Amino acid sequence: MVLRTALISLLVAIGGYAAASWLTHDFRVWTEEGARRLEVALAPVPLPEVALQGTRLPAPTLAATARGSVTIADFFYTRCQTVCLSLGSTFQQLQARLQTEPQDEGAAPLRLLSLSFDGAHDSAAVLQAYAGKLGADPDLWRFASVPDAAQQRALLERLGVVVIPDELGEFEHNAALLVFDARGRMVRVFDLAEQELALNYARQLASKRS
Amino acid sequence: MNGHGGRRLIALLGDRRLAWPGLLLAAVLALPAARTLLEASMWRHMVLQYPLWMLSGALLAGGLSGRMRERLARWNASGISGLLLAGTVITVLMIPRVLDLALVAPAVELAKCGALLAAGAALRLSWRQAGLVAQGFFLGNMLLMGAVVGQLYAQSPLRLCNAYLLGDQERLGQWLTAISTTVALLWLAQVFWWVARRDADTGRMAGTQAPQDAAAREGASAPSPQSP
Repeated sequence: MVLRTALISLLVAIGGYAAASWLTHDFRVWTEEGARRLEVALAPVPLPEVALQGTRLPAPTLAATARGSVTIADFFYTRCQTVCLSLGSTFQQLQARLQTEPQDEGAAPLRLLSLSFDGAHDSAAVLQAYAGKLGADPDLWRFASVPDAAQQRALLERLGVVVIPDELGEFEHNAALLVFDARGRMVRVFDLAEQELALNYARQLASKRS
Repeated sequence: MNGHGGRRLIALLGDRRLAWPGLLLAAVLALPAARTLLEASMWRHMVLQYPLWMLSGALLAGGLSGRMRERLARWNASGISGLLLAGTVITVLMIPRVLDLALVAPAVELAKCGALLAAGAALRLSWRQAGLVAQGFFLGNMLLMGAVVGQLYAQSPLRLCNAYLLGDQERLGQWLTAISTTVALLWLAQVFWWVARRDADTGRMAGTQAPQDAAAREGASAPSPQSP
């Protein structure tokens, strides 16, 4: 009886360890957001071919827009009163850095892309006005949204962005800096606070092309 | 809750007639509407849905036949493997990622609910056999973890789950801490009560060596109903 109990206890312990290890990617992450960032770093996520509307877009779809340049992207919506404002200022600082520190010769161009998850409201005209208010340089910093609701859902799901309504009638989402490579894949996800790291990583990625 | 009440609770959970309500509870919890309602907020997900699934498991375990129970008991000396199973399930399911995954991955949701059912049943089948020391060890670990995880949830400035708001996470943390603390205090009170009663009993037994003394004390402490 004691032997059987010891045996089954051992099995339970092994099972628990295996489950916890699977859930936490070998005890490296504890949250879904951490897991998403780790998974993206290990295996780049191809961007879907969703149709975009927005400012000075080089191509009509997201994957095509991202191709050819290294992009730092984020999700926002123009009616946002809270965190998107700090996102906007983060991107203003990134834009200032891009303008003052020129790229190396032969490197892929670096672009900023603000993606709206409020496609129903954020039309090209609304985005244009918003970009103007933030002082966006249209060549460096683009704004886009996905007009088709189903495509937008697919995009958010593919990139692991979760948007939930909060108590103030706004939306909360796992805001982050997404880095897309020149082949149209999401290759890294950085925290908003890791703006410097994201920029350095993107520069490195861009200069590798040559 | 005292020792008597605790035992009555265990006996009630094991009442065979309650196996059907247990099954009903599981069926209700499995309904999409109940899932939506209970998983709409982080605190309901962890401090309401988790215990309800475990309660259902405990009630269902009461419906096991005597022979089945004996067979299971052979693998569960002193309730050790049962308590280990329950503790492991609770520990693993406190990882924040589980809450997020359960919402989007049906396989994880299924595994979660099944594990909670099993944990409830295992607790029911092991608690009385475990004895005070093993119970104390189990509760000490679980409640301390509950309080620590609760504090982490309540204090974290970051959202740990993508699907839930920060305020919700704080509320869950406060609930976890409050529940863990309350259960710990209740259990301690029960242990003190039990120890005090045992001391009184041994005192009385020692007293039998001096019959006159014992009779006097018996008369003082437990007057017979007839005497005024």
